[in-house]
Amino acid sequence: MNHIEIKPCATTYRNEIGKYLVSLDDSCFHCGLCVKICPYGVFERIDGFNYISTPKSANCLGPDCKEGPFSCATKCPVEAIKIETDPQWKTLGDYRWTPDLIITTWQQAESGEIPQGTLEYKIGASAGGFDKFEFVIDNNNPLPSNKTDRISTDISLNRRGEGAQINIPVPWYGAGMSFGSISLPTMLARAAAAKIWKTFTCTGEGGYPDELVAYSDSVITQIATGLFGVSEETIKCTRIIEFKYAQGAKPGLGGHLLGDKNTPSVAKMREAVPWTSLFSPFPFHSVYSVEDHKKHIDWVKTINPEALISVKVSTPSDVDMVAVGSYYAGANIIHLDGGYGGTGAAPEIAKKNIAMPIEYAITKVHKFLLEEGVRDEIVLMASGGIRTAYDIAKAIALGADGAIIGTSELVALGCVRCGNCESGRGCPRGIATTDPELENQISLSWGTQRIINLYASWHKQLKLLLLKLGLKDIKELRGRTDLLRNTDEK
Amino acid sequence: MYERYHIETTPAKLRSTEIGKFEIIRSDKCLNCGRCMTHCIYDVHERSTLDPREMSEPVNYLCKNCFSCIQNCPQQALEMIPNKEYENLGNSYWTPHKIYTIWHEAEEGKIPVFGAGYRGRFRGSGFDDIWTDMSEIVRPTRDGIHGREYIATLVDLGRKLPWIADFEKLDFPNFLEIQIPMLLDTNPMGLDSKSIILSTLKAANELGTYAFLDIENYSDELKPYIKSIALRSSLEKIMTIDQIPWREVNLIEISLPDKFSSSEFNRTLKELKKQNQTALISLKLTNPCLSEEIFKHFEEARIDILNFHTDNDGKSFEGNTFISESIRKLHLDFVKKCRRDEITILGKGGIAAAEHIPKLIICGADAVVLDLSLLVAMGCRVCKTCELERCPAEVNLLDPEIAKQRVINMICAWRDQLLEILSAMGIRDVRRLRGEVGRAMFYEEIERESFEFIFNENGPEK
Repeated sequence: MNHIEIKPCATTYRNEIGKYLVSLDDSCFHCGLCVKICPYGVFERIDGFNYISTPKSANCLGPDCKEGPFSCATKCPVEAIKIETDPQWKTLGDYRWTPDLIITTWQQAESGEIPQGTLEYKIGASAGGFDKFEFVIDNNNPLPSNKTDRISTDISLNRRGEGAQINIPVPWYGAGMSFGSISLPTMLARAAAAKIWKTFTCTGEGGYPDELVAYSDSVITQIATGLFGVSEETIKCTRIIEFKYAQGAKPGLGGHLLGDKNTPSVAKMREAVPWTSLFSPFPFHSVYSVEDHKKHIDWVKTINPEALISVKVSTPSDVDMVAVGSYYAGANIIHLDGGYGGTGAAPEIAKKNIAMPIEYAITKVHKFLLEEGVRDEIVLMASGGIRTAYDIAKAIALGADGAIIGTSELVALGCVRCGNCESGRGCPRGIATTDPELENQISLSWGTQRIINLYASWHKQLKLLLLKLGLKDIKELRGRTDLLRNTDEK
Repeated sequence: MYERYHIETTPAKLRSTEIGKFEIIRSDKCLNCGRCMTHCIYDVHERSTLDPREMSEPVNYLCKNCFSCIQNCPQQALEMIPNKEYENLGNSYWTPHKIYTIWHEAEEGKIPVFGAGYRGRFRGSGFDDIWTDMSEIVRPTRDGIHGREYIATLVDLGRKLPWIADFEKLDFPNFLEIQIPMLLDTNPMGLDSKSIILSTLKAANELGTYAFLDIENYSDELKPYIKSIALRSSLEKIMTIDQIPWREVNLIEISLPDKFSSSEFNRTLKELKKQNQTALISLKLTNPCLSEEIFKHFEEARIDILNFHTDNDGKSFEGNTFISESIRKLHLDFVKKCRRDEITILGKGGIAAAEHIPKLIICGADAVVLDLSLLVAMGCRVCKTCELERCPAEVNLLDPEIAKQRVINMICAWRDQLLEILSAMGIRDVRRLRGEVGRAMFYEEIERESFEFIFNENGPEK
């Protein structure tokens, strides 16, 4: 995959957020020694200026640098440099998306490389599920990293032995996010990145903007309960069709676009009245049972016989039976969406309390499909709380074939997870908004490159992990729970 | 005429709850260029009205933590730090987040809806170890949130007939109907504040439910609301006080002293029933173990309700179990004796968020008693030491109408969230949820079931 161009793509913001705060006190006489010492670009003296600019704290490695050769604070002749933890750090992130994860995701989107330095980029701090697992790696025999070329990370999205064969080179694709919940540039950037990586992204339930047609080979059409933007054209122009029964963050409640975000362009796409709240009521009225679900699939197959069928369900306690039912109804992909997944708007009570976290559902469904003897005919994709490359690998080790990601892509575009996507003008950072002024903050080329870079870093991490685990193919990792260990037991 | 139950909400703002999670600090480096103002879409940054050349102090409680102003400031003059005032709210059970959520529910009367996924810990203790179930395809309540008008949150207080044997001899028991599975407590922290009692009682009256009132706090001023009072007293005090309220209330709760004789108890109850034939009798319970003695009272004296009291954090006064476990045990004890429908079980204490109600009902309660949450709705900050004279929110000086409205708003938001949970499960009636542990997933069970392979032999850590 040498054709994928990874190029640095810096943030559009003037000030970056970092863990450490570097300050110069009044005793500084601007000798410029720190500018010479620091290789990370914290200090700068603009040509022709006598003074050193305000330090770029975000680049500082913090106390870890202190022992090394680049320590500015110890070498400063007047001890004018002060390095401390930025109090602002505590205001960023939360248990699931720690400040470390947000910043390292930004770094990956910027450079396309595996993060260096001391920030934790593998796991969050929620103390359960993925955050409690680690891979059993024997660090005592290091392997040469140049061997990663021979490692395969591709997965098939159709294992039934009939119908179109679709392979994706990385074991993930993008989750459904509708036009209306996110801005058009964001949507197009996701699709463009998916096209370059030869994977997929999903329309969500908000119609199919004309601009997206150029990427139609990489776009999954979602059919959800409100049927917004579902027409024979949109069903025909796609290679994969996703039935969305429920979403992990609001299982059993249906979709909800608050009136503020239903601008005229969104309303036109959804064939609705502008500035009214739009509900996508749960559930499908054409589906009252698993038999009906089969008829539902038949309807779509009549229009587009070539398309693969994905069924997106959330994670109730009987999710294993739903999965098997979907298999017998003819689905190619079972997409499990766990309770801790992202959303553009959902009642807070639903995010934590309804339906189980994805980690439990993967093992449950994987085991049940194995017992039923149909595991190798269906593709099991997991989503809802997959934040990092390591989360993807853990989901696969628990029994999934691959993962579906959403929030991480938005974080790559500059999301700070402030959670104000749902109302008013929407996202102040131009991601989950349809406000014409705000959405201009993200340009298509910049956004595309950021997501490409994130994917590139994840791809490297997965290959390196497989190498360390002694595996040659991501498919060998599936269900290898023996490679996981509970971090509490160390 | 049939009237659908509806709770009327009106926004009720309170200045004392305008506490932001974060604080933005504008340093001396600020040039008053106003770029923060153009980037902020929440009106945190405005020019000073006195001198438009200067920026005024950031309005912190409006800030939604998007970092736009901080990242765009040409002078790096802005910085955000956690707000100490917010972090100091409440305690480890009544977390700042819980208090903040109740404040907003009480202000707007709406379900909290936000973007982005769940941001808390994977699990916690008590109620945070339970996930409620949902039904993917087949369900009786169609239409998700649109179908909610078909969902009943009505519960009955009192005993039901085990079976109908002989119509001639039938002795129909009394029961009370409330439209929400929530009762209120007028005196949660033992503050004896007249205004808090009055506003809670008014709210109960408007909501069509009952509010527990200590007999010592009864006054003629409360007479108009007497039908909403659940009068509470210790056994020895019942007969010594003026008998007027006893005759008219619908619900009487008795707490038993440490030592008492059964005959005394039965005699008092008989006397009470002579005075007031229709009132339901509730017994205050602090020990989750159903003793044979209590069970005998239930049989002989015909107790209608057991109200299980715990402290504000849901911990039992005797033993150290959490309210969900205690209620589950109590419920199962009655199920084992095949007498569950002849008693109503209430749980009081530790109900601090909307999701606690369906979870406690799943564990076996018929309804819950709200206590400290009502004070929080009125602006309480759950300080470590509570003194009415030094209350930072001046809870007792609040306009009773605003206090009442805030309580109603919170309860409306909680009921709506209960409807969300019920609609996700496909359950049409909250009474069907009682004791339905199949509608919940408990951490220890699900963790063992799914992750056996990475466990030590002792199962998940507690």
